[in-house]
Amino acid sequence: MSMLPTLGTVLAETPAELIDPRSMQIVLVFSALLFVIGLVGFLTRRNMIIMFLCTELMFQGAALAMIAFGRMHMDVSGQVFVIFILTVAAAEAALALGLVILLYRKRDTLDAEAWSELREC
Amino acid sequence: MPPTTLYSACVASAIGLYLLMRGTRGGVRGFGTILALGGLAWLLSETFASIEGAVGPTIVPLVFGVIAVMAAVRVITHRRPVFAALYFILVVVASAALFLMLHAEFMAFALIIVYAGAILITYMFVLMLAQQSPTESGDAGSAWYDRTPREPAIALLAGFILLATLVEAMDGSRARHFDTMNDSVAARAVQQPWDDLGRMPRELLRSARLVDPQVAEVLDTPKVADGLARVRVRLEDGSETELTLSPASRPSNTRVVGLGLVADYPVSLELAGVILLMAMFGAVVLCRKQMELGEDEARQAAGLPEGGPQQ
Repeated sequence: MSMLPTLGTVLAETPAELIDPRSMQIVLVFSALLFVIGLVGFLTRRNMIIMFLCTELMFQGAALAMIAFGRMHMDVSGQVFVIFILTVAAAEAALALGLVILLYRKRDTLDAEAWSELREC
Repeated sequence: MPPTTLYSACVASAIGLYLLMRGTRGGVRGFGTILALGGLAWLLSETFASIEGAVGPTIVPLVFGVIAVMAAVRVITHRRPVFAALYFILVVVASAALFLMLHAEFMAFALIIVYAGAILITYMFVLMLAQQSPTESGDAGSAWYDRTPREPAIALLAGFILLATLVEAMDGSRARHFDTMNDSVAARAVQQPWDDLGRMPRELLRSARLVDPQVAEVLDTPKVADGLARVRVRLEDGSETELTLSPASRPSNTRVVGLGLVADYPVSLELAGVILLMAMFGAVVLCRKQMELGEDEARQAAGLPEGGPQQ
């Protein structure tokens, strides 16, 4: 058992070295891809709940880019900003899902097209 | 990377995604999957080829990134919303693995707890609440609005133009950054943990006492020279001396994030609390049922005795 290093010891002993530019670039490309896929999903899906899920995908892309840039500059601000992203995501989920429930009660469908006419109901 | 290659890879992925969204038969969707994967692989290999000199363990970000992107594609193409939400959990777990690789351990676990544990459960609740239960298995059981995408061509055009712009911007800025930045960042990487420790007086005293139990007071912040951190201390008998701190007393990621949050961004932290409070109020107000009360019921709800003042 003592032969196996725990995750804690591995992380503590890893020197704070510079990130490999190749890993950095790969992570940035993936963050851009996550953001773009979220954007495309938000534009194409009709289900209101999945549309909000796609905004969470975009949050993921932004958070990944922030962590990667923070690692690149050896600065903790990137990680602190991700905490704020999580806060905003949680607040957005609570409000958006409340709205979705409200809209579902009125029209009995989750289709966003049902609300394409702007009028009082 | 040459712009034509970048644009071709983006166009291939976009056409693949279009087929994946629009196709009704299995063959078309399979071809779309292959085309999208091919575009992704092309983009990644071009990204690899455009970076010279550096070699390192890049298999971890590659594997988890591909898992994240494929799961994200399933989120936007799956026809059953519950499964789309489950695939989103896979995206979260894969990005948490990427966070771990980037030495953001606290955020990785916070991401899993907050996203997969809390936010996604809320989504699942709402999905179950608002979804008609499917009578058949497979695609036929899902509602029509889950089966038909809205304007996929225009959305994909906008999305992949954005992707090409982002990737090209990163590609252009990277070369300048890594050349000019390396020395200063390497110096900061050595200095920063000890500076952070210097901002935590009790922790600094504790780590000094680990080296010498006789320490009564730490007199200044740690100074780094030749990779070793030294600090001036006063011992219990009143004499002053200099200690070399153990490398293990560098603060962990969680401590550093906490310090950054509370010491550097205190106002933002307060505002985040206000945002959460307001969101809670908003959700309660939105979801409350509007009830029409009669006069007697209203009096009862207000705690007044039955009947009225006329009695």
